[in-house]
Parts: sequence; structure tokens; C-alpha cells
Amino acid sequence: MKLIHGELIKLVTLRLALWTILLAAACGMLLTGALALIGPENATPPMPGLDTVEGVEIVLGLPAVLLFVPALIGTIAVTSEYRHRTIGTTFLAAPRRGRVLGAKLIVYALLGLTYGIICSAASGVALYVGVAARGVAIPVPVGEIVVPLLQLALAAAVYMVLGVSIGALARNQLVAIAIVLGYFYVLEFVLMMIPGVNSLYPILPGGATASLTSFSFLTDALAEQTSLDAAALASPLAGAGILLAYAGVAGLLATIVPLRRDLR
Amino acid sequence: MSAAPIEITRLAKRFGTVDAVTDATFSAAPGRVTGFLGPNGAGKSTTLRMLLGLIRPSEGTALILGKHYRDHRRPARLVGAVLDIAGAHPRTTARQHLRTYSALSGVSPKRVDAVLDETGTAEYADRRIGTFSTGMRQRLALATALLGDPEILVLDEPSNGLDPAGIVWLRTFLRAFAASGRTVLLSSHLLGEVEQTADDMVLIDRGRVTRTGSLCDLRSNGKSLEDVFLRATQEGAPL
Repeated sequence: MKLIHGELIKLVTLRLALWTILLAAACGMLLTGALALIGPENATPPMPGLDTVEGVEIVLGLPAVLLFVPALIGTIAVTSEYRHRTIGTTFLAAPRRGRVLGAKLIVYALLGLTYGIICSAASGVALYVGVAARGVAIPVPVGEIVVPLLQLALAAAVYMVLGVSIGALARNQLVAIAIVLGYFYVLEFVLMMIPGVNSLYPILPGGATASLTSFSFLTDALAEQTSLDAAALASPLAGAGILLAYAGVAGLLATIVPLRRDLR
Repeated sequence: MSAAPIEITRLAKRFGTVDAVTDATFSAAPGRVTGFLGPNGAGKSTTLRMLLGLIRPSEGTALILGKHYRDHRRPARLVGAVLDIAGAHPRTTARQHLRTYSALSGVSPKRVDAVLDETGTAEYADRRIGTFSTGMRQRLALATALLGDPEILVLDEPSNGLDPAGIVWLRTFLRAFAASGRTVLLSSHLLGEVEQTADDMVLIDRGRVTRTGSLCDLRSNGKSLEDVFLRATQEGAPL
């Protein structure tokens, strides 16, 4: 508990918790709000309108595009410890490194969940404000809107854990950021364009996220442009399972690998 | 027989093809300041980091009261260490930094004000560390080391960046710490400073401990510590 307490103090004193909340609200509100106000049917390319279930799903799933934000928050938080050399002070205070990193993973999973809940809530509010402004009736009851929003919250928690793990393994801040952005926003798209390899997409983190959040508009559009068949996504439950498995493996590596490393 | 506060036995560390520390053996006794003296790059910091579990030895053991640092239940209450003045986030204040590390060490937050007073850092406790001078950061590093009210202090070049008044203050502080029966292991490359502070000496050069003994013994036959140190380091072989 003392390690979790210490990590929570770091979150507050470095204002990381505050910035996470602000970023979550901005990410949730901006994309969903903008698209809800413009109307998905007026976007380029046109998407189903908000008077359809599909259109509502697309608008609510849009913040999933920005899931690199919680991943980067986690990455930057951990690599800052190496950058400012506070990790040595931390390991002197608590020399069981596995426990320190375990505490970090727990705290950042909770922060990721907080990010996801705020982002989802902001997204939901933006949707209702947008449709109210345009006088469109949403064909989905509120209860059904909550489910994809909670799925987004879970995905945010997983992405933050992945970010923390990548940061703990890479240690160098720039390298870790490059890995996070390079993987999620370059490598996965490249893999999706390679015939044969793209069938693996559903079990990659991006594909599992698309399954969980039911947001596959961008990948479907990419498949259409490249004339490749889009691989069928897993169910949301399977997507959640795959993402949690990634988080578990990454978290395990992040707690084991630093145990034997020298801190010079 | 109780274990020595610090006991280093045949300690070695190899980084790739470089032997940073080779076959180092020495100890530090309670109630005394042990100076760990050597030129830059001699292996002092590597040895201290092995003692504190931050670097894994290639061979040998480095024990604190008979155990590895990490095997003590509450090591920060036993050992305070100053290894790196950069070990504080520049956007936090000194007080926030100390609160964080008191929590991580399992030390009462009441100790924060005590160590701020003890190290003369109270007047800038609520300033961001990024605005601190090197000397202020050194004092903060010492305050962090003292959070657990430890029995043993391990300090790597603690007088770096301190002004003359700060150096005198540190010397007085360390002498008083040792006089209360506690143990200090102090690394430095500043002969004059160590000579005025330490009771015992360990000389290290190119990764090898070349001399150990009390300051009086090393200076016997009318030799100065500088003579002994230069002979030990220039020849590069055990004396």
C-alpha cells in the first residue's frame, strides 16, 4: 500500500492527474462534438447519420482514434523517472523493483480507467449537445449508449498500462514515444495493407480495440481503398480478452525485465 | 558477533570488457566516518551502487549489517544514501519530493519537516527543485537520505556544488552523525575534504582497493594523505 500511496502522491504533485482529466475531457468532447455538430452524413467521405444506430456507434467510437493519448501519458510518466533520474531514489526507498513497477501499473491502470470514464462521459455529453443543436433524434436509448462508452473506458485503461510497460522496458523517453506512436499509428496500418498478414489484424492491439469499441470505420475505409478484404473482427468480449492479455503480458515483462538491469 | 554496518568482500563488476571494480574488500565501522577515496572513474560510484542494490555485482558480496540492501525489511530506515543530486523531479517542490519518498519508504510524513530543518532546506522547501542551485540540491539529497533517520549514511561526492559554508556545515554534520555511534561511508576525490572529515580511509584506483586503514596509520612516517594517495594511484598497483 505504501508504494501505491507514493505513486498517487507523484500523480498529484506532478499534476499528471489533472492533465489526464483535462486531456480526457478534451479528447472525448472534441471529436465526438465536432462530428455530431457537423453531422456524419456531411463528412468526407459521408458516414451514416445520427438518426441511425450505426451513425451513433461511429460518433461514440471516434475517441478510440485518440487512445494513443493515455498510452503516451503512461509512457511519459515512467520514462520521466529515468530522464530525471528519480528512479534511483525510488529504488533506494523501495528496492524490490517488481513491487514498485507493480504499484505503478495498478495506479496507472486506475488513472487510465479514470481517463476512459471522463473521455466517455465527455463524448456522451458532446453527442447529446450536438444532436440537440441540430434537432436530430437519436435512435438508441441511453442505456445502450453507456455500453460502448464503458468499453472505451476499459480500452483506455489497457492502453495506459501498455504505455507504462513500454516506458519501463524502453526507459529512453524519445524511444518509448516513438515505439508507441510508431506501432499504433504506422506499423499496424502497414500490416493491414499487406495481403495475408492483414488477417492477423483482429488479434493485434488495434484490431482488438476495434472489436471492443465496435469502431471499425477507419479500418473498413482503409480496406476499401486498398481493395483488400477487411479481416472479420472478434466479438467485443473477445476483443476485451485480447487487450487484457496484451496488458497482462506487457505488465509482466515490465515488472520482470527491470529486475536484473543495472542502474548506473 | 554482530555484523559490520558495511562489509564488502571480493566485490567485482565487469561492464562488457571493462573491469569497473575488481576484488574490492573493505568495511566501515560504527561511530566512524570512512572515506572512500579515489580519482574520477576509479570505481567508487559503482561500488556504492552495488552496495545499495542498484548494480548487480559480477562477483563478491556487499552487505549492510550482514544482509543485502534489498533484503532488509525497511532499508530506508537503516541506510540513507546520496548518490545522485539529479534524483528529484524539477517540477516538484522540495517538500513534495520529500513527502513522496517518505511514503515510498514507509516513513512518517512528520519526518519531512524534521529533515528540512536538519539540513537547512526549510527556507526553500516550497520552491520548485528546478530553480535550485547545485548546493541546494545536494542538501535536498541529504534530506532525502535522512528521512528514515538511518543508522548508516552512504554518500557519493556529497560536497560537490556546496559553497565553503556548506562544506563546513556538512563536515560538522557528518562528524556529529558518526559521534552518535552511527556509520558514514563517504566517497570523494577531494583529498583535503576527506582528510578533515574521515577517521578511516579506503583508497581505490582503477577498480582496485589499494589501501585501507585509519587516517593516522596511512599518514604514519610523516607522509601526508596526498603523498599516500598519489603513490597509490600513480603506480596503479597495490602498495
